Amino acid sequence: MEALGVRNIVKQFPNVLANDKVTLSIEKGEIFALVGENGAGKSTLMKIVYGLYTPNSGEIYVFGKKEDIKTPQDSIKLKIGMVHQEFMLIPRFTVTQNIVLGDEPHKGFVFDYLRAISEVREISDKFGLKIDPTEKVENLPVGIQQRVEILKILRRGAEILIFDEPTAVLTPEETSELFKTLNALKQDGKTIIFISHKLNEVMEIADRIGVMRRGELQGIVNKSETNERELARMMVGRDVVLELPKANVKAGDEVFSVSNLNVKNTKGILGLKGVSFSVHAREIVGIAGVEGNGQAELVNAILGFLKPTSGKISINGKEIKLITPYNMRTRGMSYIPEDRKRRGLVLPFRARENIIMGQHTLYPFSNRGILNDKEIDAFATKKLQEFDVRPPDIYSKAESFSGGNQQKIILAKEMSLKHNFLLASQPTRGLDIGATEFVYKMLVEEKKKGIGILLISLELSEIMGLSDRILVLYNGEIVGEVTPEETTEEELGLMMLGLKRKERVQ
Amino acid sequence: MKEFFYRLFMNRRREKYWWINLLVPLVSIFLALIVGGIFIQSTGRNPFLAYRLLFNASGLIPGPYWRSSFAELLLSSSMFIATGLSFAIAAKGGLFSIGAEGQFYVGAVVAAFFGYSKPFAGLPSIIHIPIILIMVMLFGGFWGLIAGYLKAKRGIHEVIVTIMLNWIAFYLIQGWLVPTGGPMAAKVETGVSGTPYISPTAKLPIILSNTRLNISIFIMIAVSFLIWFLLYRTTFGYEARAMGHTAIYNMEAPKVSGVNTSKRIMQIMFLSGAVAALGGSFIVLGILSQFPPVFEGGYGFDGIAVALIGQNEPLGIFLSGILIGALRTGATSVQIARIPKTFPQIIEGLIVAFIALHELVRYLLLKLAKAKKSSVTEGSVE
Ligand SMILES: Nc1ncnc2c1ncn2[C@@H]1O[C@H](COP(=O)(O)OP(=O)(O)O)[C@@H](O)[C@H]1O
Ligand SMILES: [Mg+2]
Repeated sequence: MEALGVRNIVKQFPNVLANDKVTLSIEKGEIFALVGENGAGKSTLMKIVYGLYTPNSGEIYVFGKKEDIKTPQDSIKLKIGMVHQEFMLIPRFTVTQNIVLGDEPHKGFVFDYLRAISEVREISDKFGLKIDPTEKVENLPVGIQQRVEILKILRRGAEILIFDEPTAVLTPEETSELFKTLNALKQDGKTIIFISHKLNEVMEIADRIGVMRRGELQGIVNKSETNERELARMMVGRDVVLELPKANVKAGDEVFSVSNLNVKNTKGILGLKGVSFSVHAREIVGIAGVEGNGQAELVNAILGFLKPTSGKISINGKEIKLITPYNMRTRGMSYIPEDRKRRGLVLPFRARENIIMGQHTLYPFSNRGILNDKEIDAFATKKLQEFDVRPPDIYSKAESFSGGNQQKIILAKEMSLKHNFLLASQPTRGLDIGATEFVYKMLVEEKKKGIGILLISLELSEIMGLSDRILVLYNGEIVGEVTPEETTEEELGLMMLGLKRKERVQ
Repeated sequence: MKEFFYRLFMNRRREKYWWINLLVPLVSIFLALIVGGIFIQSTGRNPFLAYRLLFNASGLIPGPYWRSSFAELLLSSSMFIATGLSFAIAAKGGLFSIGAEGQFYVGAVVAAFFGYSKPFAGLPSIIHIPIILIMVMLFGGFWGLIAGYLKAKRGIHEVIVTIMLNWIAFYLIQGWLVPTGGPMAAKVETGVSGTPYISPTAKLPIILSNTRLNISIFIMIAVSFLIWFLLYRTTFGYEARAMGHTAIYNMEAPKVSGVNTSKRIMQIMFLSGAVAALGGSFIVLGILSQFPPVFEGGYGFDGIAVALIGQNEPLGIFLSGILIGALRTGATSVQIARIPKTFPQIIEGLIVAFIALHELVRYLLLKLAKAKKSSVTEGSVE
């Protein structure tokens, strides 16, 4: 039986055709995944189904009946629920208050909090979604907050549940919890639409997969009849190579090292405990770990934003006494920041202004403090072309580029700075598959050129695929040093959770 | 020169909807005049008469007595422009300085001191005036630097420090230096209260005969240009603007790129203080000829409004400084229409209020622009 049908949906935004005659049919009781690169139009399509956008043309069928969905209220009545990319919870409210908000049980005119709590207990038991109904939402981890969202739509009687990139904000453990929940909901006969651009997740959870590209539905495939490679090709429109052949080059001299580094974080807690390692030329050292286990402290200590309580940081064998970004950079460090918008770019600056940041004081971009626009323009034009930034308009503001292209601007800038050590902190965070591929190629290229790279990443596959050596960070300590050949993702996972140690023998 | 005009006009056009930056203040001014008119009407007076009186006496429109009101207009405008620029320099660099008031006082008192005291008082104008102006900017810059230092090295918010420095300047000057018996007060025998009068060689040269109009307006034209140049054509301005754009993010993007933000913060605050103090010197060197016992300030705070209306851009501030100068010059004449002379300040307040609403106005205008554009191009999208 068809739970949801969309026929020939067209949605035109001022600048883009976000949905181009999309036709889909989703069966009751299946998990249907919608994949596509950022900007492919997945969210738009689902927002149309949920009544947040009105399509320019096209029809929607819910359980066989043609429906005219104008507002989210309409879709809730039709038993459609949506968990958005950004949660819509009120942090100061309790779990119960959030769940019943908008549809509260009453005793006369009075809000019946006790009955609300027992209602929440009831559905949480029914679907096996454990939760404390009286806890404040602000005290809950993201994974549990998402559970509150799910309970909220279940309580409204949702039969069709839409999840827009639910895993983007989750840790790997939380993701597997969520997948258990999704499977349980499916057993219960619910229909689930799961949006993602991570192919391994889709291959794990979905029954059928719809692939979108530039607003068009490229096709629908059964999971059992496809693989990640084929999906990637459909998504991007060409072959994508994420598994790069390891450039097996011999590591050279040490370019960067930290020894016995102890760093207190902003809360005054020791976030990095006695960490020592070194990075050599022509080597990628990967730091694996669950977020919040010392990665931020490490990066901030290298930049000089946090002062180590003890320990040394050296570049090219020389200890840096006064650590500032300027001193690190003049001695040969480049840095791909984990947070593009905050650290990587000045968003209201144009591409041409961003691309020279850090070398703007050098000839020929400026001479005795006066900027040379001609040289800057020529340089920016060349770099945008070289890095295939789209649109290649040097006068566009950084904020107007998509995430992938913003990252390319950052790469263009950092790579053109003179360096022999690269600190790459989550360089593919939030990027779609095409841009991710670009970053991977870039890193391998750098390595071949003789740069030593410290790669900090939360993605295990990335660490495994690129690194020559892997260090596992857990609770501020390095609990393991392995090579990708001698380890497995499972073993790394155990070390990341602090369940196993494997230290190098000196 | 060609390059300069190209940069000034052509580059702007690369900005989508660049004209909004111009339109927002213009629309705000227009709305303020209308709302002000409604106020007058609702009290049973004639708004058209009021505006005619106001603008006829403002110095903006040629007419009888134009010469002198035009002179007064530019005279006060140059001070508004100075304090407006002072605020804007800091704002561009991501700093919210409200210290122009105190720096204006410092500038005025320093100008008076170097204007009357020996051995400077004996020098010819051509040497005397530059010495005064340099000392004024050094002291005013120092006053700003204190806030910059505390912000850069100690992380103390510049708003708090600049407010305190305003009061410190006020009490140091009005409570100690200038009153009778104070170190800078004129001798009792001379019968002068306040500081002694400055030497004639310290007076700014008059540029329009039979008026008080002096070179201060030329100085501000040059300063406005220099600040535009500094902000948009130099690495200093480039870094300052990057800091301003990322102030909400703790200036992290410029910092990780190696910009020494502490040093820049101090330089920006120095510059901001120096320019405000320059405005303070004009009132002594061009109008009062001394630091009087009771000093009517306010220029520093008005500078914030000027900067807001001018959108923190040097050219915009120059124009809005002229506008505020005009409103103040024409103020007294509205009394003929039985309207209090503070009325023009209500208009100023309204303009500022509408500018503060500019996000809304901007949003509406952009929506309008986009709606029009998409209706033109509909169907031509691939
Ligand atoms: N409210 C909107 N106004 C204008 N354009 C939009 C809007 N929402 C999305 N878009 C554009 O529509 C396209 C599809 O976006 P979206 O559906 O969010 O993609 P996805 O969820 O697949 O990443 C993108 O190019 C995006 O910039
Ligand atoms: Mg989306």
